[in-house]
Amino acid sequence: MIEQLKKVWQRRELLWYMVKLQMKAEKKNKVLGFAWSFLDPLLLLIVYVVLIGYIFGRGGPQFPILLFIALLSWRWFTSSLSRSVTSITSKVGLIQSVRFPLAILPLSGIIIGFFDWLFGFVILVPMLFIFEASFTVNILWLPVLLLIEFVDIVGACLIFAVVGTYLADLSNIVQFLIRLGFYLSPILYSVKDVITSERLTMLYMLSNPFAGLLESYKNVVILGAPPTGYALVGAAVACVVFVIGLWYFSRNEHKLVKAI
Amino acid sequence: MINVSDLGIKFRMEKRRRSRALDFFGEKFGNRQRPSGEFWALRHVSFTVERGETIGIIGRNGSGKSTLLRVIAGVYPPDEGQVSVEGEVSTLFGLGTGFNQELSGRDNIYLNGIIIGLAKNQIDGIIDSIIEFTELSDFIEMPVRTYSTGMRARLGFAIAIHSDKDIVLIDEIMNAGDAAFRQKADAEMDRIMGERTVLLVSHAMSTIEKFASKVIWLDRGVIAAMGEPGEVIEQYLAASKVKKRPPDEY
Repeated sequence: MIEQLKKVWQRRELLWYMVKLQMKAEKKNKVLGFAWSFLDPLLLLIVYVVLIGYIFGRGGPQFPILLFIALLSWRWFTSSLSRSVTSITSKVGLIQSVRFPLAILPLSGIIIGFFDWLFGFVILVPMLFIFEASFTVNILWLPVLLLIEFVDIVGACLIFAVVGTYLADLSNIVQFLIRLGFYLSPILYSVKDVITSERLTMLYMLSNPFAGLLESYKNVVILGAPPTGYALVGAAVACVVFVIGLWYFSRNEHKLVKAI
Repeated sequence: MINVSDLGIKFRMEKRRRSRALDFFGEKFGNRQRPSGEFWALRHVSFTVERGETIGIIGRNGSGKSTLLRVIAGVYPPDEGQVSVEGEVSTLFGLGTGFNQELSGRDNIYLNGIIIGLAKNQIDGIIDSIIEFTELSDFIEMPVRTYSTGMRARLGFAIAIHSDKDIVLIDEIMNAGDAAFRQKADAEMDRIMGERTVLLVSHAMSTIEKFASKVIWLDRGVIAAMGEPGEVIEQYLAASKVKKRPPDEY
């Protein structure tokens, strides 16, 4: 398993090139090209703000930015996950031509997803001023939260990359799970708006490892508060998923070449 | 420098991947109706290649030629036997399967160079001669999906031949180009012959005869014959001939 990490680290230049060129290839044919990196999250945000803020008349004054930071972070997870499912099967030609650590394929998708997060964050920054977010020293927690999420995503994507290679149906399943997870996680709402009982809150936060993480993002970026203690649930799950993912991928890597 | 002994590569035959997914989730659940179809793409294959030799590999479609190259490239670990390869392998980009279709030829040169383990500044050093060799000129900035088969072959061959790796694997790319490309490719082959170890898969017997010092004839995954190019090629051609019915049967 440590071996696996070493192998990837040795080929980090390849990983970086994959990321760079894949991003280039994705934007190349589009008229607006690079601008889509900013437009995508913005348009998504507008849809939800209109839906929740105006049509349902809920959400409060800071709703757009609260939603935005949660949306960005959730999108990083989901886009990485759906990319990882086909990450191996979509590179058959390459895999059959040359030996390289296959973990680079799902990983490059995760890094591309992180760049999308960053582009989104660039849009968020001016909005933070417009909607009067409170800046405190708690913003320093942001890199920690991102790291937890990264570890979590890597573990999950390594697992899904293997299973997705064997089971083409997984991409449909993942699309469903992502949709379900979106409504079950505090993205369009904050936990305290929905659940009032303390016991239920605890139950909810413990059962959804992403909940604590997403609430913490909102706390540190917008509310100027420290992360919730439930972020630790996310961190613990992240570590477990990471170890399992790494183990599982390492064990199956050599079989993948023949499965495609 | 390359030592292959009793190599066997096994694949499972299945109509779709689903059954594989089942037995992948656990021998207990999936194994009951496990399809019996296993086949050996290569079996009992043994040979050695010395430094600087050029080996021609011939055989019918599906006889295991490309699989053998992939084993040498380190893509497939052997299911049986041993393979030891000393020296670095330049990848085979047979007809551009490893190219990213959306990216330009130039970007693909970088991508493929990095994949086979060249550093960026090494590629900077050879990219001009690669582009010159391919004669793609302005096309080098166009996406690879717009290239003709010949253009892809040229690009693949140019990358394989310009990377200074010890072992060069060439899978049927020499014969895809036009006459001018073939001449250039032949000249390049002459240049690197003796210097580097080359494994050459081809259906063009003239190419094999011209360059190979030894020929391996693969037939359904086993070595049918190996040795002097002239002899092996003759045997192979004799065996592939469509048998004609004798006249008295008419």
